[in-house]
Amino acid sequence: MADPQTIYLNRGESLPELYGEDRLVILPRDPHNIFAYWEVSPQTRAALEKRAIEEGCPEIAYCLRVYKYAWPEEETVESFFDLEVSRESNNWYITVANADRYYHVELGWKAPGIPFQYLLRSNLVRTPRNGLSDLIDENWQLPDWKAQKLFRRISLYHLSSAEFFRRLRK
Amino acid sequence: MAQGFLALILHAHLPYVRHPEYEHSLEEKWFFEAVTECYIPLLMVFERLRDEGIDFRLTFSLSPTLLAMMEDPLLQKRCRQYLQRLQNLARLEEERTAGDPSFAPLAQLYRSHFDSAAAYLDRYGCRLVSAFRKLAEENYLELITTASTHAYLPLLQLQPESIYAQIANGVQYHTALFGEAPRGLWLPECAFEHGLDDFISELGIQYFITATHGVLFASPRPKYGVYSPILTQSGVAVFGRDAETSKQVWSAQEGYPGDYDYREFYRDIAYDLPLDYIGPHLHPPGMRSDTGIKYYRITCEGLEYKEPYRPDRAREKAALHAGNFMFNREQQVRYLSTLMGRPPIVISPYDAELFGHWWFEGPQWLDYLFRKIAFDQPHVKLITPGEYLDLGYPLQLATPNPSSWGDKGYHEVWLNGSNDWLYRHLHKAAADMIRLATAHSEAEGLLERALRQAARELMLAQSSDWPFIMTAGTMVDYARSRAESHLVRFRTLARQIDEGAIDAEWLKGLEEADNVFPQLDYRLYRDFKTTVPVDLAGVV
Repeated sequence: MADPQTIYLNRGESLPELYGEDRLVILPRDPHNIFAYWEVSPQTRAALEKRAIEEGCPEIAYCLRVYKYAWPEEETVESFFDLEVSRESNNWYITVANADRYYHVELGWKAPGIPFQYLLRSNLVRTPRNGLSDLIDENWQLPDWKAQKLFRRISLYHLSSAEFFRRLRK
Repeated sequence: MAQGFLALILHAHLPYVRHPEYEHSLEEKWFFEAVTECYIPLLMVFERLRDEGIDFRLTFSLSPTLLAMMEDPLLQKRCRQYLQRLQNLARLEEERTAGDPSFAPLAQLYRSHFDSAAAYLDRYGCRLVSAFRKLAEENYLELITTASTHAYLPLLQLQPESIYAQIANGVQYHTALFGEAPRGLWLPECAFEHGLDDFISELGIQYFITATHGVLFASPRPKYGVYSPILTQSGVAVFGRDAETSKQVWSAQEGYPGDYDYREFYRDIAYDLPLDYIGPHLHPPGMRSDTGIKYYRITCEGLEYKEPYRPDRAREKAALHAGNFMFNREQQVRYLSTLMGRPPIVISPYDAELFGHWWFEGPQWLDYLFRKIAFDQPHVKLITPGEYLDLGYPLQLATPNPSSWGDKGYHEVWLNGSNDWLYRHLHKAAADMIRLATAHSEAEGLLERALRQAARELMLAQSSDWPFIMTAGTMVDYARSRAESHLVRFRTLARQIDEGAIDAEWLKGLEEADNVFPQLDYRLYRDFKTTVPVDLAGVV
């Protein structure tokens, strides 16, 4: 129970669950997970349902289309995949295959005989790298045997990942 | 000639907690405990070293919210009262334990600690900022800043203006208090995301610190790993945390603070003594919560069997551990220097609140460490990141990797099922703040006050502490209520500004309750498309 001062300063109000807007936002959480949240405004939802009825398919499925970009840039979409989400949900954790890649997501819908129909587009994000960079600056390079020793020293305390040494040996 | 450098960095931060509406707030006690158990003991160590002519260097990050609490007259007064109650309790404890060979000396120890802390506060008129400033002016401390309310910046990227405002206000507040702009920035939770360095550079900051893999996984691959800073495209140096030194202090299995001779944190007299005796001295009175008076040592695993604390044994251990830490650094830099062809720098950041609060002997350990480094060896030299940059070593151009020092190394602690609901509201509020600041860029009078208060409420809602507490699972109601309250207040302010109907009396109430950053400039939130970078020169 909030104290009278808090109730007064908050004017007895609480946060709305949604804002009556159309928006889809994604946030990279780690190298392989992106968090998405969205909101479909009542107007957009009504228009969509009207159209679905007109198309003769009242049972539509909401869907996230996840676009992966070609490494390392943010211009060319390399591939995409779809994730069906429930009508009621308004957020999702999306597992993605590639670290250090750009992604964007679209929210849309599908129905039997009707391909993906776009509703909302997200911002663009880049997942973090989860290992040493393969890019070497020739002007900034230790001899191999020294680099092995230096990185091994760090890995002793920081990384247990076999990935670390596998990548280093490349 | 030293073969390498050690940069110890203490990061001090608490969320802005100030509750004038309660006489005794459990959450305000976080601040009082940190002042009594950490900041004052650390400052006393630094001053003693200085007075004895011992050369040492330390980087100290002071979050703007913590500084604002240190500067707040109500909290200063309450902190002094809190300490007075502890002094009274310690005197009672001296009487109660008189003649007991194990506990009487400990009661005297606490009485002496509290008396010294009270005398220290009185000496500085309860303004600890003055003590930090003096040590910085004498070049023992390099003071750096962080985001204004310690916002978790990578998750605010959707509105870059709100990241800019978080950092810019932090820099301005720090500069106004210390008379000098900070050279370095502590990224809250060491959390980095692509693009953050652009704002940091724009604001005149020369360096920031990331988790180990922030630098280690940088691209191109960093030639020297984390043992030399890299330089971002925007011209800011990035120092990566050294994992060895973290582990020596933090590791649950091997970390120093877990030594059986050190004081047990979890056994406080608040839970051992009858309520009719101890009740009036608790905070809040009558509610059992730690007093800071703890008479036992860790002794063994588990919380059941504990033996009385022996300060002499603990002191010996602190000296031993300081020696061990120094020895390991000597070995580390000697080894690394043979590989690198330049002196390595070992970056060792810790939460300041570890020292004295959780690890009672922490300040003593630092004291011994500084003395040993000064007198017992020639290989390792203490340095600050700023001083290292002044040495002029060429830095490799590379892009740091998104990362944090939280569990699993990325953003999950601050973005998971317990706290992800928060971000849609934070982003919405930030978008509204940018819209309002852009639309009313020359506001005056009541409108300006409303816009400034809206910026305060937004910043307070953005504190990384709220989602962190939600993940940790303790005090969740408080964290949730704080985040929600600031967002609700922001929304109401935004609506009133939009409608041109600002409730002056209610606004005054908000200004008194959420009074952080008196000079906060809401214009920092103006849309980037309509602004040029703020010139921080001459803000002092």
